[in-house]
Amino acid sequence: MNSDDKKYWKGLEELREEPQFLEVRSKEFPEEISQTTRRNFLKLMGFSFTGAALAACARMPVEKAIPFLIKPEEVVPGVANWYATTCAGCTASCGLLAKVRDGRPIKIEGNAESPLFQGGACAVGQATVLSLYDDERLKKPLWLGNAASWEEIDQSIGKELKDIVNRGGKIVILSGTIVSPTTRALLNEWCQTFTNARHVVYDAVSASAILSANEKSFGVKALPHYRFDLAKLVVGLNADFLGTWISPVEFTRAYTQHRMPSHDMTRHIQFESGMSLTGSNADRRIPINPSEEGPTALTLLKEISNLKSGAGSSNETAQDLWKHRGESLVVSGSNHVDVQIVVNAMNALLGNIGKTVDLDNVSLQKQGVDDEMNRLVDEMNRGEIQGLILYGVNPAYDFPDSDRFISGLKKVPCSVSFSDRLDETSSLVQAVCPDAHFLESWNDAEPVQGALSLTQPVLRPLFATRSAQESLLTWMGKNVDYYTYLRDYWREKIYPLSTGLYLTFDNFWDLSVQNGVLSLPAQTPTERNFSGSVPIAFQNPPKGLEVHLYEKIGLRDGRHANNPWLQELPDPVTKITWDNYAALSPKTASALGLEEGDVVLVKNDYVSLELPVQIQPGQAALTVSVALGYGRTHCGKAGNNVGVNAYPLIPHPTGFRVEKTGRKVALAATQTHHSMEGRPIVKETILAEYINNPSAGNEEHEKLLTLWEEWPKEGRAWGMSIDLNACTGCSACIISCQAENNVPVVGKDEVTRRREMHWIRLDRYYSGPEENPETVHQPMMCQHCGNAPCETVCPVLATVHSTDGLNQQVYNRCVGTRYCANNCPYKVRRFNWFDYAHNDQFDYTMNSELGTMVLNPDIVVRSRGVMEKCSLCIQRIQEGKLQAKREGRPLKDGEIRVACEQSCPAQAITFGDLNEKESRVAQQNHDGRFYHVLEELNVRPVVGYLTKVRNK
Amino acid sequence: MLRKVFIGTALLATIILIISLIIQESRRVGSNQGYEPDQPIAYSHKVHAGDNKIPCLYCHFGAEQGRHAGIPPANVCMNCHSKIKKDSPEIVKLREAIDKNQPIDWIKVHRLPDFAYFNHSQHVTANVPCQECHGPVETMTRMRQDQPLTMGWCISCHRERGIMPPEEHQDLNRDKTKAIGGMDCAKCHY
Repeated sequence: MNSDDKKYWKGLEELREEPQFLEVRSKEFPEEISQTTRRNFLKLMGFSFTGAALAACARMPVEKAIPFLIKPEEVVPGVANWYATTCAGCTASCGLLAKVRDGRPIKIEGNAESPLFQGGACAVGQATVLSLYDDERLKKPLWLGNAASWEEIDQSIGKELKDIVNRGGKIVILSGTIVSPTTRALLNEWCQTFTNARHVVYDAVSASAILSANEKSFGVKALPHYRFDLAKLVVGLNADFLGTWISPVEFTRAYTQHRMPSHDMTRHIQFESGMSLTGSNADRRIPINPSEEGPTALTLLKEISNLKSGAGSSNETAQDLWKHRGESLVVSGSNHVDVQIVVNAMNALLGNIGKTVDLDNVSLQKQGVDDEMNRLVDEMNRGEIQGLILYGVNPAYDFPDSDRFISGLKKVPCSVSFSDRLDETSSLVQAVCPDAHFLESWNDAEPVQGALSLTQPVLRPLFATRSAQESLLTWMGKNVDYYTYLRDYWREKIYPLSTGLYLTFDNFWDLSVQNGVLSLPAQTPTERNFSGSVPIAFQNPPKGLEVHLYEKIGLRDGRHANNPWLQELPDPVTKITWDNYAALSPKTASALGLEEGDVVLVKNDYVSLELPVQIQPGQAALTVSVALGYGRTHCGKAGNNVGVNAYPLIPHPTGFRVEKTGRKVALAATQTHHSMEGRPIVKETILAEYINNPSAGNEEHEKLLTLWEEWPKEGRAWGMSIDLNACTGCSACIISCQAENNVPVVGKDEVTRRREMHWIRLDRYYSGPEENPETVHQPMMCQHCGNAPCETVCPVLATVHSTDGLNQQVYNRCVGTRYCANNCPYKVRRFNWFDYAHNDQFDYTMNSELGTMVLNPDIVVRSRGVMEKCSLCIQRIQEGKLQAKREGRPLKDGEIRVACEQSCPAQAITFGDLNEKESRVAQQNHDGRFYHVLEELNVRPVVGYLTKVRNK
Repeated sequence: MLRKVFIGTALLATIILIISLIIQESRRVGSNQGYEPDQPIAYSHKVHAGDNKIPCLYCHFGAEQGRHAGIPPANVCMNCHSKIKKDSPEIVKLREAIDKNQPIDWIKVHRLPDFAYFNHSQHVTANVPCQECHGPVETMTRMRQDQPLTMGWCISCHRERGIMPPEEHQDLNRDKTKAIGGMDCAKCHY
């Protein structure tokens, strides 16, 4: 297949060549340009000259340098320390390293020692460092809405709890999934201390059905540990395992391991309703409505049992699964027990249990059971609950029937929340005892049985907050801090199980804290047989559209809604920021006469939501996809009232109709910006062709002469290669880059004006029919051209070439003509339209004293009127070079890791020296799949790509 | 007539003077050469580094390890002053700061703008003497910015001396600064 035969398109307006799109595309500047008169120009000139002259007269302000009085031994000003810890961004609990500069954490990266996550970190995990510096965090505990001291709070709550116990009332701790074994032990002990106390686990987005189904099928009420690394064929049913489902970093790492083109490349088939990140990576994707999950699974099961009995089957997927029995994996994201039972039966029939579905070392990443929560809310409404402690949950926002929860909460005489802010729930409770951020606290985690991980504080609490465990310990009258409790737990429960060679417990503890992770020996597999009955048929849904609810890569279940980095992270598929919307298939939209941005009422007999329409190629015909996690009202200034809350739709997902309201809004999408005008930017092939010819799909190369002098081939020549086959589009690199390079957040309005500032973007191209297109994700950043078009047009030499092959942008020379951005064929240059760091209009991160603490001190915060772009993390290159120089040794390949490369869970990005023959990047430059984007322009970039190979 | 000539000459002289002053001054824009502020504690480099010959890196140990040479923390001063000259009024100030847990607000003398990255350890490793950039510190009773610390000044030194080539490029001519990028903008500006 030649990529020339295929037409790639970024949006429907491009595919259909709508007049508006063509008009915008043909213009030099998409936005209107203001007209300046000669008079105004002279006035401005005069003013700036006077201003500059006056500014030069000022004396430099007196600056102070305040050293430590007594310096901690490990802190050297200007030198970063790295500490191992564990992420609390979601319950996946990835092992992390936190970079601490001069006492404040500024960057989060994956911990390569972690056997599960192997150094990857997702967008959310990396953005948690910004949540630490969130101004909306509570700075003190609150009693009845007023600030109080911890002593007062402890006294009041202690008294209340005692009263409840005396009158024999029920106390409930309502928490999200607790991945920490020590915290679980503490909660158990707590519940035993108080008579009639119990612990209820509630997950807003739960895996309750999987837990129940496994209990029925295998007698284990747990989430299995899915082993994507052992699967040669993965079949997904509405499970976005590369994006948001259970443990996306681990699954991405495991999945991409065998996705390198070879004879035994993993194959992936996805049945799904909306276009998810996972579906966009599938070799075959079949759109189905959510109500078809069960019937689809049932058909597959029947066909497989036919194959087993020798009757044969014409179902391609079933044949494929049968061929790969024992090394295939069927996963479903459905929260219907019956669907999960069918999936269990299928995995059992295929012999996957104990292989790709590990029920002996189970995952502890989702523990919530929906029925228990429902029972609790009923009890609350009947006035049976006397004390309610809310830990890491926000049911007033994310419980589907939040009104019922709120009315129940009002009947609870003593309610306490550990929420870090005054959110929807904690603004209704008696006492708010703000929990510390995970970077400020001690804890541990056990995401999968036997895979332990420790959380250590990397800075003192910024505010008068206290970790929830400390509060619980105080209230149960235990005079011990949580650190001691944790250490004791590890001494008693974990140390005896460890197999490593340690001199003493102290030695074991220090090493575990230093490494951050610890592996205990795995349980031996036990024979498990499927038992129970499989449903015979599934009910047909009522007439009308169905709603498919999903989590977004950035906001997940909504707990990170006040994180502006995540709000501005474009959705990897729709490329929309700062909003959720109703995704409709092109066919349905045109049948209903809807256009992109039309505000519609999505309603059935129970609920109704007002959402803008987004037309999504590949969307199942009768399904509306709506993202959860939006529509927060009490999370903080960045996230309040962004989008609409879709949780109320969970219990009633069918029978919808869509009604026009007549209004239209602009969705802040980065989708059709930076159009590449239909040229072959991405190259792809299929596995069969690749095996015959490693440069299949990449046959044509342009060998052009150049009038420019070649750059000298001595010293270093930095280069990068990006494997399109590995990249899943997860967008972790965008946040990593943003954190590393002080990239500002610009807000929804500016994004609609095409002024987003991300240095690395993920281009997403569709090909094929709009009902079910194929997708490619392509990370795009400055290509560091050898013959850079930007350099030749800069009138002030603000962008010049370095001797090691980088295209340098010198901010203090730049006068902002924007010629370079105009002449850049890759459209990767970003202009500072405002002084984002000192402008109240952009009150996201850099404008508050607290927010600036996350800035990387090695990188300049750019001011207004300056162009910026990817520097290939020049600060990391310099740091690596200097380290080697100081130690008097040559640089090793792979020693310098740029931010995007480091964070990539799929390891799609490789950086290194092209002049070093043995370096990975130089080797990849000779790969048959290697090509440069827009070779015909002869700009000779040092960033190249490897073709995508589809296994179909 | 004579008066007119006199006035004319005086006017011309004044204009020339003003212009030359402007030129002279504008060369120093942004440079604080000669800056010598009073410090909260009258610390003398002359006594320590000059008379007593304490090596610079004893106190400014950061210069070997990282970007900032740093002002020594008070506990480093106390290594000696817990025994020596305990009663001097300036040492009493130091003692008080430690007792009150109140860090000392030194006035920064050598300041680089935020857009210039400078790393001390890089230069110390290359055996550049401290005095090369900081002047005869061992003779200064009060710390003074001796050199202009402007970009032209940095570059002129790099042009003259080249930079220490990294290990793997020892075969390259040491003066070929250009080949190993000593003059690239993004060596300091990022």
